[in-house]
Amino acid sequence: MIRVLAIAALLLGVVPAAALASEGGGGLINLDRSIIIQGINFLLLLLILGKLLYKPLLAKMEERTQAIRKSLEEAQAARADAQREREEHASKLQAAYAEAQAIRATALKEAAEEQRRLVEGARAEAGRLVESARSEMAQEVTRARQALRQEVVDLAITAAERLIRKSLRDEDHRRIVQDAIGRVDKVN
Amino acid sequence: MRSHERTARRYAKALYDVAREAGATESIGRELEQVSVVFTGDAGAHDVLTRPWIKPADRRGVAMAIAQKAGTGKLVQDFVGLVAERGRADHLPEIVGAYRTLVDDELGRARAQVRTAVALTDGEKRELSGKLEHALGKRIILEEQVDATLLGGFIAQVGSLIFDGSLDGQLARMRQRLARG
Repeated sequence: MIRVLAIAALLLGVVPAAALASEGGGGLINLDRSIIIQGINFLLLLLILGKLLYKPLLAKMEERTQAIRKSLEEAQAARADAQREREEHASKLQAAYAEAQAIRATALKEAAEEQRRLVEGARAEAGRLVESARSEMAQEVTRARQALRQEVVDLAITAAERLIRKSLRDEDHRRIVQDAIGRVDKVN
Repeated sequence: MRSHERTARRYAKALYDVAREAGATESIGRELEQVSVVFTGDAGAHDVLTRPWIKPADRRGVAMAIAQKAGTGKLVQDFVGLVAERGRADHLPEIVGAYRTLVDDELGRARAQVRTAVALTDGEKRELSGKLEHALGKRIILEEQVDATLLGGFIAQVGSLIFDGSLDGQLARMRQRLARG
């Protein structure tokens, strides 16, 4: 409104100047009483225009300003919400990541423990198997030695029996009987 | 076999008691051995006396007839008849053994069964008997059996006592020692 009045005042100052300037050769405006009427008309027109156009325009502008401001505020709120949600998501993501890390660490630890246990079990089992095989082998060797010894002894004794049976003469029999009779004393 | 021996001992003890009362334990023993030899040597008589379907009275009659034929006295005839009647004729060898043991105990003697590779000379028998008598404190009756499967020496058994003086025994002991290492 102030700006409108300023423009009007400027025009009132300029127009007489323009009329005066044109006195010598005829201008657009005549400096007489009609200028007052024109001034009044102009003011009326200014008043009407101010009422009919300027105020609604201002109201509209204000409304649009408010709408824009509201939109801006909503946008800011939305952005804040989005930011908050992003932060929440980031926080959740971080927590999930930490949880995943913890689960992974636990799983890795359990896997390592399981692996260690399996390795120890396998090692113990292998030890037992080796010990068992060693023991069986030792027993087998002992049995084989005993069987071999028995076989050798049997062969030797059988050969000795054959040899004795062939070579014994009557005087040998008599001597053996005498030896045996001599040992009867020791019977008790 | 054990029940055979128990039964044989019962019969032998009964005969022994009667024979001792008669004061003829040794002669009765000899007669009993004669009958036993006939029984075991005559397969026909053995079959008749051991068949359960032959009447006990018939078995008794047959047994008494055999005993009479073998020249035994009345006591042995009756005893053999009783044994056959009771179906114990197959126990006769064990009865003879048990009776012999009872008589030997009474007379303070023992029998030595000697398995030998070659027959012992009289001197060896005397010497062996003497040694066994000295060791056991009883008079020894030597019963020799030549066993050609023995390599050399002899094995003497008196009751439960066994003396192994054979080469076979020495080789067997050597075999055990060597096998043990």
